[in-house]
Amino acid sequence: MNTQLAYKETLNSLLQNDPQLNDPATLEGISSLLGKLAPLVQGQRLHNLVDLLSALSDVVDMTDDAMVQKMMRTYEDLAAGAFSLANLSRFAAAHAGSEEQPPTAWQALRRLNSDADARRGLAMMLAMLSQLGRQARLGAMALPED
Amino acid sequence: MSIQDIIVVGGGIGGTMTANNLVAKLYPEIRAGKARVSLISNNPWHYYKPAFMYVAFGMFYKNELRRPLHSLLRPEVNLLLDEVEGFDFKASRLRLGSGNDHRYDYLVVSTGCIPSPERIPGLQEAGDHFYQHDPAMQLYRKLSTIESGRIFIGVTFPKTANVPHQCGIAPMETTLMLDDFLRRRGVREKIEILYTYPTVAQLLRNCLFLQRPVGEALPSVFASKDIRYQRGFTLARVDPETKVAHSEEGESVEFDILMQTPPIRAVDAVLASGVSQAANDEGWLPTDRDTLQLEGFPNTFVMGDTVDLPISKAGGSCHNQSPVICDNIAGLMRVGDTVATYDGKVQAIAQMGLEAGMPLWYDYDSDVIPTPATKIGGLMRKAFNRGVYWSVARGLI
Repeated sequence: MNTQLAYKETLNSLLQNDPQLNDPATLEGISSLLGKLAPLVQGQRLHNLVDLLSALSDVVDMTDDAMVQKMMRTYEDLAAGAFSLANLSRFAAAHAGSEEQPPTAWQALRRLNSDADARRGLAMMLAMLSQLGRQARLGAMALPED
Repeated sequence: MSIQDIIVVGGGIGGTMTANNLVAKLYPEIRAGKARVSLISNNPWHYYKPAFMYVAFGMFYKNELRRPLHSLLRPEVNLLLDEVEGFDFKASRLRLGSGNDHRYDYLVVSTGCIPSPERIPGLQEAGDHFYQHDPAMQLYRKLSTIESGRIFIGVTFPKTANVPHQCGIAPMETTLMLDDFLRRRGVREKIEILYTYPTVAQLLRNCLFLQRPVGEALPSVFASKDIRYQRGFTLARVDPETKVAHSEEGESVEFDILMQTPPIRAVDAVLASGVSQAANDEGWLPTDRDTLQLEGFPNTFVMGDTVDLPISKAGGSCHNQSPVICDNIAGLMRVGDTVATYDGKVQAIAQMGLEAGMPLWYDYDSDVIPTPATKIGGLMRKAFNRGVYWSVARGLI
């Protein structure tokens, strides 16, 4: 009881004596904030936000160097992939769109045959298709009977 | 109509992000064949150089700190792997190591700086630093095996007035990291850490940091970690035999490891250009603090470590200078005048020990206001190091 009283007195003296808390702008701001908070407290909706903050704080506590490394590796893979795909798309569209007459199928094949990088790109697409096919084959494996 | 040639020299963080940002800014001209952006680098690899300090504490491997330069560039950037051997700013021409001359309409010089411990007698032989990979590895081997003694930390400022050393916050960051590192090893009680700062630090005298608010906060931080500190120690020479550091102020201190931020200078081609007015043949280019143009050469811009401005030689500076340069080149091409102004802004997340971090920012007019280091700040720095940095280099952030 005495301890509670002491806390109360300390809080009272803090509220009365702290120059920041007694600043008219602070009082006006707190009053305005209380107006917004009151319905949230009364309806116990603020409780959810406090619980959310608590959960966020737990996530911060649990996050360690290894987790950051894994998450940022994923971020870097996604960002680098998106950067590369966006570049390819923009560059290829600008190139293709600038030709007055698009090449015929035979001209395109001849161009492909004479451009080593284009052939390498085709080989890459084939390798990707091969991996897609492999994953499809493995994914279609029969379920165990249990 | 002739094509406008814009050349960026340097494949570090400043040059890489600026080449990408230029393509984004000038895309209509590039697509119409009216402008071309080239980047000249002498290295096909881009290194995350500011993170070499982590190598000194065994926290990063070399492969994690590099990417092929072309993988960071938009395909519209014409990458030239060559050495720039000479700048002829008057004639707007570059002399390349391959023997070619290259004319340009606009030039961005982002060639960085070079640690030069050989400029202090004995420092090359007896000192260590973390501003390059191999020296950082050498320092790691020493820090991970020392059992007792004194680790002496010192900082060398350029002789050019009001120009900072490389990455202003790094000596303080590594001092706090060192304290944590030695505690983890269980040898901290047997090792004395002595942090020193020179008498002259840009415009300040007898301080512990190059900005007053942080300098005033440091004693209590160091006291809480039992780190000794001393003002007024400007390293003059080192005796490698006796392992003694001598100061210009006349003091001598013994050490077991000397972790010294070394003198720095501009690259050879910038030094040889004859344009610099910097003291001690340091080579910083005279840069307009607002437009970032090279004084007397309005079609040339300077950024990053190569400037003679009172702004940190760090990636956080490049990040804010790059958009200004891109806007000004676009302005010169489109309306005949520069349109953007650099306010000196630099931002970073300081590594305060191995786990904590402190976001910070400042500009020409305001200093860093120190705030408590937090684990969230530390996680933000780790996230930046492990992933966000590469998006910054690509000009995505």
